[in-house]
Amino acid sequence: MHHIRKAEITSPITTLASDTTTRLVPVAGIAGIGCIAGAFLLSPGGFAHFSHAYLVNFCFYATICIGALFFVLIQHLTRAGWSVTVRRIAEIMACCLLPLAVLFLPILIPVMLGSSELYTWNTSRDSLGWAVGDGDMYDLKTVFLSKNFFALRNIIYFAVWSLIAWSLYRWSVRQDETGEKSLTMRMQGFSAPMMLLFVGALVFGAFDWEMSLSPMWFSTMFPVYFFAGCVLSSLATITLVALVLQRSGRVTDEITVEHYHDLAKWTFAFIFFWGYVAFSQFMLIWYANFPEETFWFRFRSEGGWMTVSMILLFGHLFIPFLGMMARTVRRSKTFLLFSSIYLLIMHWVDHYWLIMPQLGASVHPGYNSPTPIPGPPIPELLCFLGIGFVLFASVCLIAGKRSLVARRDPRLHEALNYNNP
Amino acid sequence: MSNETHQDKKLVGVLGQFDSPDALLHACENARQSGIKKMDAYSPFPIHGIEKALGVPRTILPFFVLAVGLSACAAGLGLQWFTNATENWGPWSGYQFKISGKPYFSLPANIPVTFEIIVLSSAFAAFLGMLALNRLPTFANPLHRIARFKRATNDRFFLAIETSEGGLDATSARNKLMEYGATDVEEVWLDQTDHQLPAFLKTFLVLALVLLLLPPVMVFRGQGMTSRQTRLHLNPDMDFQHKFKPQSLGPVASDDPLGFFFEHKRSALAQIPGTVSRNQDDSDSTFLRGIKAGPDSHHTNIKIPVVLASNQEQEALTPAAAPVEPDWVTEFPEQFDVNQENMLLGQKKYDIYCSVCHGYSGEGDGLVNQRASALAINGGTTWTAAKSYHDPEVVKQPVGRIFDTITNGRATMGPYASRLSPADRWAIVLYIKAIQETRANVPPATDVPPEADKNAGAKAE
Repeated sequence: MHHIRKAEITSPITTLASDTTTRLVPVAGIAGIGCIAGAFLLSPGGFAHFSHAYLVNFCFYATICIGALFFVLIQHLTRAGWSVTVRRIAEIMACCLLPLAVLFLPILIPVMLGSSELYTWNTSRDSLGWAVGDGDMYDLKTVFLSKNFFALRNIIYFAVWSLIAWSLYRWSVRQDETGEKSLTMRMQGFSAPMMLLFVGALVFGAFDWEMSLSPMWFSTMFPVYFFAGCVLSSLATITLVALVLQRSGRVTDEITVEHYHDLAKWTFAFIFFWGYVAFSQFMLIWYANFPEETFWFRFRSEGGWMTVSMILLFGHLFIPFLGMMARTVRRSKTFLLFSSIYLLIMHWVDHYWLIMPQLGASVHPGYNSPTPIPGPPIPELLCFLGIGFVLFASVCLIAGKRSLVARRDPRLHEALNYNNP
Repeated sequence: MSNETHQDKKLVGVLGQFDSPDALLHACENARQSGIKKMDAYSPFPIHGIEKALGVPRTILPFFVLAVGLSACAAGLGLQWFTNATENWGPWSGYQFKISGKPYFSLPANIPVTFEIIVLSSAFAAFLGMLALNRLPTFANPLHRIARFKRATNDRFFLAIETSEGGLDATSARNKLMEYGATDVEEVWLDQTDHQLPAFLKTFLVLALVLLLLPPVMVFRGQGMTSRQTRLHLNPDMDFQHKFKPQSLGPVASDDPLGFFFEHKRSALAQIPGTVSRNQDDSDSTFLRGIKAGPDSHHTNIKIPVVLASNQEQEALTPAAAPVEPDWVTEFPEQFDVNQENMLLGQKKYDIYCSVCHGYSGEGDGLVNQRASALAINGGTTWTAAKSYHDPEVVKQPVGRIFDTITNGRATMGPYASRLSPADRWAIVLYIKAIQETRANVPPATDVPPEADKNAGAKAE
């Protein structure tokens, strides 16, 4: 039983690329763009419905990749040893933030052309998009929420994230060949300033993408809520990707049940952290009971949205919290396959719940119009598939023939011999 | 070693020393496989896999913590429900108190407290449960009598195997340890006297117990005594808070050069014209204000709570602001039933809120009033004495007027609208009328008419 593994990669296959994936890349790319175009053309609720549905799925995928970038950064920041075998997966996922910058164009271009169907702040003061456009608050907000500044900020976010993600990926891949320890030192050294930039972009990204859908609403807790979802969904995705890769015969020896156990422990913690932040945000607003804050939750508690809110409360918090409490469960690959998919579905519902109730706000502005759940979810599903396909093609290109494990990381030995107490 | 030295001692085990964690791990593995159950490993740092090698079963502590956490959840919610959402539940009932306009039992408001109780109880359960499962604390461990064992915190690794009569004997345990690669083996003797409390500890414990008795003795002694010393402020920052009460005066202008305070040096903005605060709902004048509904009723007696800078200013304004006596309600409103239940409610609320100044029988002899009047005589304060309800002026007052006094306050008496619901205030009015009735118009004990209560208000006019 007591056997110390050498820091060697023993799996027969450690790359993603195969004949199938090479052939799939163009197919997936075209299918992805086709799906997005289809969503645009077939949207039952017109462009407003399409753009909201697109934003839901964009945020769904983007938060996963942002969370993956956080995962990579925090491992370097804490000089973690256990995670070396799964870090490469997160590095590749984080690199998807570059294709996601291109995928942000269907949101940014209409805004630049003056469309206010998604972001109702993109109108003049006199129109009703602002709902309560009045006073000093309005004057300050119009400076911030103007289309040029919005575009500039988003360029900065994606530049920051892509630069960080690609630098860390490139250095890590270079280490596979050279085995330089100085690269690890460099990644650790840069991780602290990178983390600061990363968090700055995350906070304002959360404000811009989702909170500004309701321009006069404000919650300083919102970016934390957004962040909790990012980390939770990325952990679920890393687990899922690792399981799928191992089922396909890749990296079979390197990722052990101990790594899954650790990922699951972290997932468990973030399930609760998400609930803690969600409740804190809700309770402060509910308790203070100011109409200029409570209407946001009122939108989400009427017209069928209460059901979605309750699905989140139980499905995103209580059920997974109790479900993932036991150690045996966290070490079961079968269960983790199920729970990762389940958590990702809940994460999707979370963003649906954040974005979709605002759909009607452009049609019926004002406080007193909670909007019903929109008609058949054709654009939602097509956008989900579309962005998913494009990102799948991107992942295949990014990973290519590179190793799926950091082969010569100085802490590989520690990760391979890692045991949960 | 002779028998004499081991008179009070008992052989309890054998200790083997190893030079590396791997050697220890192997030894544990071997010992477990040869069927030894009672053993323990000692190492300067945690060794991965040692629990498995020793055959230590998984701890039940998580389940214990889960059970305590779930009980704490129920207890936390139950506590809040019982203390704030029950009333009239026998001698141990809770007390309904409105907080921020939320329901008495309101889940979102109760969750933070419940959460904290769960976290605290679970942490205690984990810590104390860990101690209990490890049978800690113990006063002594025979291993500490062995000199070389000190290196277990530094650079050596040890495996102790328990011996017992009828079980493993010392010689075979020793041989086994040597076989497993121990560099040194030593017998472990339990000194029976080790388990006795040291003498100094006994003295210390007795002393501590005596000292612990002092506070309750002092509290007991202090009961019913008067003291001329100033009160002890254990939490001065809570007793003297750096804050301004709503609608009171801010500091003088020189203290506030930046002009943080509102006009007329008030600590808060005056009520914005056209807004209705929670306690100024006049949709039902009779029930909510004690004033008969009429064309002018909503103009009278609306207090805009402004505290002016000095008494002079206040006096200067008083004649202009002197209200026309409103058209007071003389009968209890329709929504309010005059019955035994409301009489008891009134008594309860009266005893809590009113009796401290007005006294239990309405003589105006409550403790606060006595104390404040005494201080006023000494010139320490100004105090308008609490009224006796049996004062003919007060007896003449219609029910609406008394209701208004409770709602908005008079002279030194503050308003109670925020603390008592309109129904509670009417119940107090009913009880006051009953108190007055006991003096003014005592009916013969034989024939109390059934509607005595209902007529009380009308008769007293």
